[in-house]
Amino acid sequence: MPPAEPGALPSGSTRARPSVLLVVALVLLVARVAIGIYEEQRPSSVPDLVRWQPIEGAEALAREQKRPVLYDFTAEWCLPCRAMQREVFGDPESAREIEQAFLPVRVLDRMREEGRNAPEVDSLQRRFRVSSFPTLVVVPHGGGDAVVIVGYQGEKSLIQRLRAARMESMLPPGLRPPRGR
Amino acid sequence: MNPTLVTTLWRQRLTSPVRVAILAALTGMPLLGVAFMPAAGLGLLGGAQGLILTLGAGMIGQDLSSGVLQLLFARPVRRPEYVVSRWLGVGLAATAVSLLQLGIACALLAGRGAVPTAQEIVMFGGGRLLESFGGAAVLALFSSLIGGFGDLGIYLLVNLGAGIVQMAGQVKQWLWLSRAGAEINAALTPTIDLMRLVTATPMPWFPIVSYASTVVLCLALAIVVINRKEFSYASG
Repeated sequence: MPPAEPGALPSGSTRARPSVLLVVALVLLVARVAIGIYEEQRPSSVPDLVRWQPIEGAEALAREQKRPVLYDFTAEWCLPCRAMQREVFGDPESAREIEQAFLPVRVLDRMREEGRNAPEVDSLQRRFRVSSFPTLVVVPHGGGDAVVIVGYQGEKSLIQRLRAARMESMLPPGLRPPRGR
Repeated sequence: MNPTLVTTLWRQRLTSPVRVAILAALTGMPLLGVAFMPAAGLGLLGGAQGLILTLGAGMIGQDLSSGVLQLLFARPVRRPEYVVSRWLGVGLAATAVSLLQLGIACALLAGRGAVPTAQEIVMFGGGRLLESFGGAAVLALFSSLIGGFGDLGIYLLVNLGAGIVQMAGQVKQWLWLSRAGAEINAALTPTIDLMRLVTATPMPWFPIVSYASTVVLCLALAIVVINRKEFSYASG
C-alpha cells in the first residue's frame, strides 16, 4: 500500500487540504498590506520632464508668449499614454523641444476612476471632441483651427507631427491647410 | 492539472451556441473599432472581463447543479485537482481568445499603416494573460459557492456593491471608503499594469503582490469550499 500523502484525508477521499496554498495566500496577504502601506508613503512615478501648465489661463498665457498651446488629453489607465510619457515627455531632448515650442497643458481624464471629470476637463474634451486617448491638440496662439493628433505611433512620428503642427500654427489663419482629423 | 478536465471544459464551453455567439461578439466588436479608428491603436480592444465571464460563468457551479461532480468525485479525481483544472481551463481559453483578437487587431492595424510597437504588443498580450488567469481565479471562487450560473450574480452584486461604496466615499469625501470600493472592484478582475511596472521608478511591488495574493487566495478558498461539500447520489 502506498504511503499516504502529507495533508491527505482518509484513504478513498477525494479531498485534500490546500495547506501550502493557504500558507502562501496568508503570506501574500500580509505582504500585500505591508507593501501597500510602504508604497503609499513612497509612490513610484513614471518620469516626466515636461513642466505642464495649469488649464486655467493657459490660452491667455500662450497669446502673451506667442506660443501655441499643446493640450495632452490623457488618462491613468491608458497604455499608449504611458508609453508616450516615458518615450517623449520623459526624454530630456524631446521634453526640452516641446517646452520651447509649445505651452504644454495636461488634461487628465478621471472618468473611469471617479465617475466624473473636473468641469474644465469636460469642457476641453467637448470643445475638441476628444473620444480616445492619447489625443494631443495644438491650438494656435493667434486663433484658428486646432491641429488634433489622435493616438501614439512612436516617438519619432509624434515629434515630426508636433513639428509640423507647430509650423502650421505659426502661419496666418488664411494660409493654413484645411483641417481634417 | 488534469488535461482531461481542461479539455472537457473547453468542449463544454464550445458546444454552447449562446456562449460562442457572445464570444464572437465580444471579440469582433472591438476589432471593428480598431479597423475604423486605427489611430486609437490597441487601446480600443479594452479588457478581457467580458471574455472571462463568458468562458468562466458556471465553471464549477454548472457541474454542481447538474450532478456531474458526484460522478466525477466517485472516480480518482481529487477536488483540488478539479478546481485547479477548471481555473486553468478558463484562464487558457480566455488567453487564447485574447491572443487571437490581438493577432487580428495587429493585422488590421498593419493594413492601415499603424503597426503597434513590439513592446506595445507584448505588454497588451501579457496584460490580457494575467487578467485572464486572475479573473478566472475569482470566478472559480464564486462558482464554488453557488450552483448554476449563480457566480455571475455574485460577480455583478460585488461589482455593484463596490461601485456604491466608491460613490459613497466620493460623496462623503471619505478617501478610505472610496479606496476600499476601488480595491474591491480591482480584486474582481485582478491584473497587473505591465506598462506602469516597466516605466515606473522605482518598480512598484504592490500590483504584483496584490495580484498573486488575490489569485492564490481565491483558489485556496475555492478548494476549501469544494472540500467541505457533501455529495450524495441521493441528493438533489
